[in-house]
Amino acid sequence: MTSEQVKTKDAVTPRKSKRRWTPNIIVFACNWCSYAGADTAGVTRIEHQPHFRIIRVMCSGRIQPAFVLKAFERGADGVLVSGCHFGDCHYIFGNERAVEQFERTQRMVKLLGIEDGRLRLEWISAAEGARFAEVINEFTDQIRDLGPGPFSSRRAGSNNGKP
Amino acid sequence: MMDVGRHPQVEVMTMTEVISCEGEPGNYKVQLRKKPRYVHEDICVACGLCVDACPEVIGNRFDLGLKARKAIYRPFPQSVPAAYVIDDEYCRQCWRCVKACDVDAIDFDMKEEEIEIDVGAIIVAIGFDEFDAGKLGNYGFGRFQNVITSLELERMLNASGSTNGHVVRPSDHKTPKNITFVQCVGARGEGGRHYCSRFCCMNAVKDSMLIRQHDPQVEEITILYSDLRAFGKGFDDFVERSKSENSATYLRGRPAKIDLVPGTDSLELFVENTTSREQLRLKADLVVLSLAAAPRKGAVELAEILGIDTDTYGFISRKDPAVSAVETSREGVFVCGSASGPEVIPDCVAQASAAASRSQLFLNEHRIDVKKADIEQLDLSGPPRIGVVVCHCGINIAGVLDVDELVEYSSEIPDVVIATGHQFTCSGTGQDAIVELIKEHNLNRIVVAACTPRTHEPVFRDTCSQIGFNPYMFEMVNIRDQCSWVHSKSRKDAQVKARDLIRMGVARARNLNPLYEGEAPMQRAALVIGGGIAGIESATDLAAQGFEVTLVEKEARLGGRLDIPFLKCMYPNMRPASEVMDEKLDRLKNSGARVLLETDVDGISGYVGNFEAKLSGKSNDVLHIGAIILAIGADLYVPVGEYGYGKLDNVITSEQFENLLMMDISDLQVDGKRPINVTFIQCVGSRDPNGFTGCSRYCCPTAIKQAIQLAEIGINVTILHRGIRTVSAGAEEMYRKARGLGVLFIRHSETDTPSVIGDEKATAVRCKDDLLGKTLEIPTDLVVLSVGMRPRQPETHKFHDMLKTSLGLDGFFLELHPELAPVETAVEGVFIAGTVQGPKDIVDSVAQASAAAAKAATLLAHDNVRLDPAVSVVDEEKCRGCGKCAEICLFKAPSLHEVSPGVFTARINASMCKGCGTCASWCPSGAISAMHFTDAQINAMIDAALPVEAKL
Repeated sequence: MTSEQVKTKDAVTPRKSKRRWTPNIIVFACNWCSYAGADTAGVTRIEHQPHFRIIRVMCSGRIQPAFVLKAFERGADGVLVSGCHFGDCHYIFGNERAVEQFERTQRMVKLLGIEDGRLRLEWISAAEGARFAEVINEFTDQIRDLGPGPFSSRRAGSNNGKP
Repeated sequence: MMDVGRHPQVEVMTMTEVISCEGEPGNYKVQLRKKPRYVHEDICVACGLCVDACPEVIGNRFDLGLKARKAIYRPFPQSVPAAYVIDDEYCRQCWRCVKACDVDAIDFDMKEEEIEIDVGAIIVAIGFDEFDAGKLGNYGFGRFQNVITSLELERMLNASGSTNGHVVRPSDHKTPKNITFVQCVGARGEGGRHYCSRFCCMNAVKDSMLIRQHDPQVEEITILYSDLRAFGKGFDDFVERSKSENSATYLRGRPAKIDLVPGTDSLELFVENTTSREQLRLKADLVVLSLAAAPRKGAVELAEILGIDTDTYGFISRKDPAVSAVETSREGVFVCGSASGPEVIPDCVAQASAAASRSQLFLNEHRIDVKKADIEQLDLSGPPRIGVVVCHCGINIAGVLDVDELVEYSSEIPDVVIATGHQFTCSGTGQDAIVELIKEHNLNRIVVAACTPRTHEPVFRDTCSQIGFNPYMFEMVNIRDQCSWVHSKSRKDAQVKARDLIRMGVARARNLNPLYEGEAPMQRAALVIGGGIAGIESATDLAAQGFEVTLVEKEARLGGRLDIPFLKCMYPNMRPASEVMDEKLDRLKNSGARVLLETDVDGISGYVGNFEAKLSGKSNDVLHIGAIILAIGADLYVPVGEYGYGKLDNVITSEQFENLLMMDISDLQVDGKRPINVTFIQCVGSRDPNGFTGCSRYCCPTAIKQAIQLAEIGINVTILHRGIRTVSAGAEEMYRKARGLGVLFIRHSETDTPSVIGDEKATAVRCKDDLLGKTLEIPTDLVVLSVGMRPRQPETHKFHDMLKTSLGLDGFFLELHPELAPVETAVEGVFIAGTVQGPKDIVDSVAQASAAAAKAATLLAHDNVRLDPAVSVVDEEKCRGCGKCAEICLFKAPSLHEVSPGVFTARINASMCKGCGTCASWCPSGAISAMHFTDAQINAMIDAALPVEAKL
């Protein structure tokens, strides 16, 4: 990562009011388990906090460090990587590779000076709608406590959704 | 479930029962009675508005009454068909649901229907009921609130279950500090049932581990068992793990009674620890009864209608329990799973495929190869012209989100030519609207913001395909399941999220590329390697369906271990092996399979649909085949140096003993004398922490079978064991019979193995009896070592190298998935049958062999191998040939090729790639693209989710 980003990081000024602030969280989810788990949360109408955006991939093994770093670089306050429980992977081996990639990602994220708590790995099965909601709520609260991410000032506005 | 619900050749009829069945195999007329659902399955969109409107609240049977539901309901969230149903018993016809339904799916005029169907074969897969624990008064079920069943616990442990994954005591909803499992409730002699229920031991072990991981407040878990029957592949290792993690205390004993601790809701169990011989009074906050399987209610009545036999318990009878798990007493009627007796999931799945395979023989003419008509493809090139359709889904989406605002927002996103809304986009009119939109605005991308792509992407893709619009140019945005349904309490934020999601979907759509399904020719022929019982069964089943099958056998005869001189008779019905062999060989002969004896396979290359196999020996043919079934069997363990084997000549293996039994049993002689005492030692080469750690499954019933033959002519038999595992059909009854005949079963601990005494001959066996706590010396004239199974060498290594299929830690071939795909391997087109996958007995081997044939037939039924275009591809310009991709891929899709001397490049075989995209993220030079999930597409979504400027 470049000096430009380091500069951006330096330029971050912590916001005064935390109350009104809503975090921006990117969730990478595999098609077969965790994305399906999010659907199950829907089918069973389990309310959870709405400040995350899911990006679906076929397998957690697809989630390379660059995606996570890009999300942080673009100002994400937290990134959640999720896949199938061990032994449940639709592709048998994908989530085992996902762990290795995640560990590499973690090291890189650390190098950038981003707090540990902003990146998380969770296994959520297709049946675990309640667990999905629980993880989202917990992670959102955690990010809320940590405050805006180091590159969040790059983000347009406060994501008010205006085109 | 969704696969079966969506399959074009499967019609699912729920709430339907069979009322009569006439005709003959291949041509049955079956009368069905379909009860009214009061909801039209094809109209219902499963939105749930009716549930909100329904005033009746009742206990949910799926959650065993622990959770509430309405009179109109879905049995569980993933149920198929995805339509609601009205419970006649509770509905008071207030019609509120009818008013609430946006699509008019509810119809109280629906009547019971009688339907007649013509079928070639019938498969009975009715499953089982749980044993009624209330029948055993001493356990207090029904009297004490905190005595629950294993199924109730299972629902508690489920994250979406009755207590959202927490274990609580029903009496006070507090987490229990200690939990006791009672095994064999309603099995092995209790409640008049002799059989072992097979799945309960492992289920209790699994649940205890889950509770430990989930609830640290649970301090102690005790499992009261009779024998821990961890007989399946990898089961013993699982139990060992549980013991090493201290997730439960294992105590051998059955409680005599369970009572309340006076003044509390807690329980007291009166039990004898049969290993330490102590009388105990165990306290428990919660008692879980591991319920056995009982025959399905109505099974006997159904069997009568279908004209098939049931056993003494009321399970569907198998025609020959020694050989076939799926054949019933009537030809053309098959059974699978726990309908014929308790089974574990891997065996159920194998049997289900076996039943399908056997049914095929009666349906030959009806097999259809689904072909797609040629449709002219639309030209989608040029700059993106994107159409966005935002679905209202009645009020499912529109009730929470402002759809009109979303449409307006979408229309302002760059490259969006047209945005519009629709009430129900998935309905017929909705699909037509999409087609109109594409044509009218000359779109080359389409985005639908509605429900989840997991259920509806195939529907929309079909619509696209039908008009020649490349289905990979369609993108779906999930604003229902993952937005309106879960953020209804924060509508503002939900609206923002929906906008973001649409923007991300459009960004991805911009980067989509048309992809085209490829095809490779299919060699509609199969090779079966190994001519044992499994190979014979696979070859017969496949050939009888009309496929060209070659069966190769290294030896000069077929039959493997089933043929004389290896096997005299088979348990549980003592049927002569020679008789079964003759029958099987007859079937094989009639099937038209080509048999090549004294022939070996020298090399295999290619991939699914197009393998090439070079033979050697009597035949030097080169075969072109589409599928391969590996059935090379297993070796028996040779216990050199153990228990005096090889040194003392009256110490022999069970296989050698079976050989001795070949002659008239009354002439049986050891050293020229009729033996008086014979001792069996079990688990020789099995459940060995230093060797094969698994259970070999066949040895317990085999030893009992042999012992019965001896005991019947008055020879004293002792069997030294570490827990008898008679799990196959009829085996537990054999165990009882042997005990009745005076066969002595002595149990020893896993560490205290017996020793054989004698210098030139074994004269006695010394063994510490677990039950008495004393060391016994048992005089013996013959010692029989019940040897376990081992992977057959060197063949296992040879075919592992040749086929690139993985081996498990135990050295046996690894199935793709133990439960979902027990006969498939990671290499598509290669299947495994019989003991090549792990130790099993004849009936399970045969079931697996038929299952492998069914899976191969599914593949070979097509003219072409369909190649999914959403797979990984290599840019050879960028590839530097490091081989990382080939190293990590389990399916061996990538491989290195030498393009010029010393220069390597990776290539990915599209027919082997499953499209997970893991290699794309591992490639250090960025040479691999995961099609349809490319870096560009994912990056575009990240960018759109987190805009850095106020511009899109």
